Amino acid sequence: MTFKIKPEEIYVPSGDVVAREIEGEIIIVPLSAGIGDAEDDLFSLNETGRVFWKMLNGEKTLAQIVKALGKQFDAPLARIEKDVVGLAGELLKRRLIVEKKRS
Amino acid sequence: MKKKLAGVTPLAKFSLWERLKEKRIPFSFDLELTARCNLDCSHCYINLPANDRAAQKSELTFDQVSRIADQAIKLGSLWCLLTGGEPLLREDFFDIYLMLKKKGFLVSLFTNACLLTEKHVELLKKYPPRDIEVTVYGVTRETYEKVTRRPGSFAVFGHGLDLLLKNNFRVRLKAMALKSNIDELPAIAAFCRQHTADFFRFDPLLHLRFDGNKKRNEDIRGERLSPGEIVALERGDTERAGFLQKHCDHFIFSPGGHHECQHLFYCGAGNSGFTISPEGYFRLCSSLWHPDCICDLKNYDLAEAWNNLVPRVRNLASSDPEFLEKCRSCPIVNLCLWCPAHAYLEHGRLDAWCEYFCQVAHTRAENLQASMFRAKKTKSIK
Repeated sequence: MTFKIKPEEIYVPSGDVVAREIEGEIIIVPLSAGIGDAEDDLFSLNETGRVFWKMLNGEKTLAQIVKALGKQFDAPLARIEKDVVGLAGELLKRRLIVEKKRS
Repeated sequence: MKKKLAGVTPLAKFSLWERLKEKRIPFSFDLELTARCNLDCSHCYINLPANDRAAQKSELTFDQVSRIADQAIKLGSLWCLLTGGEPLLREDFFDIYLMLKKKGFLVSLFTNACLLTEKHVELLKKYPPRDIEVTVYGVTRETYEKVTRRPGSFAVFGHGLDLLLKNNFRVRLKAMALKSNIDELPAIAAFCRQHTADFFRFDPLLHLRFDGNKKRNEDIRGERLSPGEIVALERGDTERAGFLQKHCDHFIFSPGGHHECQHLFYCGAGNSGFTISPEGYFRLCSSLWHPDCICDLKNYDLAEAWNNLVPRVRNLASSDPEFLEKCRSCPIVNLCLWCPAHAYLEHGRLDAWCEYFCQVAHTRAENLQASMFRAKKTKSIK
């Protein structure tokens, strides 16, 4: 199964997880069955990942998030885009984020 | 963006644990939802009858638990153990469990499994706990009910445990080693090892009750194994014996290897976790009930307890010569059930020497030293 990330889409945190901020790290705690618990894993996002997670507020598309991150981080936009798409793909695969349904 | 944005880490290897320890953040806590229990085990340090109205009335309400949970989140707590008594006796167990999950806690559950229903299974399947621990008091009806003193309890225990195992929950089985079940302990151990999620542990050390009930304390003393029986059990359990031998240096300090001071607390109580009683009393660990060491979270904020009370308690010292001579400088203190909390339950003083604990510790140490000597001898012959 592939998880295609679409830059024009809006992604939001899944309702099946709870994000906790502890000591500057975002810890994503599985709430429902099938997320992480079988693997005994916890998901954590570092400082830059945390900035990305906080932008998943249901308003910005992935492309807009890349642009916004470009203003905050001193790195080529192409590099930021690659990292963000990679991270979003990972999070989507693990059901930690979902695509926001357009009304 | 040179750093990786995110990482997925196995829980045990989570780098945050070390940071939380360094900063003295309470990453876990035990929440005793009730002291009431459907069983009446003679060795139990907390159980009150399931229908004890006064006990029920004194329990924290859902809103009070929720408020304390919010305060724990502010302090950085991540892990909550729901225990009792029997937590499933709470009529609002479902609400409390779900509330804690939705706040972002990893939730573990201690239960005797007797009250488990399909409805619990449904909830736990949808919102899985981190793990569930169940004590196996016996593997025959006679032994199980001799310990629990509740006719019919073995059948409902079997039903509850089946539900948990059939639905593939991460269930850890454990046992208490008691006068009432000592003959069956090998069979209990075999049963637990067959069904437990990872490791099986048994506990032969019984401390006295939190409420100081004299009659019930006599029941506990009556269930305590003799030092010889404890050692024989540990010697007969390959896993336990191997562990003790492997970590011998931790259990028996070499001369000069033990830091000597007058502080009462040498354990980790209050370093990374705490316990909350059914009525809302904050303690550094579940056994520490000395009035100078607790505070009522109905009147105090959790942060106040954690930041002010805990350091004050951990700094308590004693100049009692018997404590300093026999306990504080004791090289086998890690083989002993002695701690200030258990000493208080035993004799009403945090620095009291406890004869039974001391006898057990010395017998264990002698046995451990003898087995180390035998192991060395065998090695040199080879």
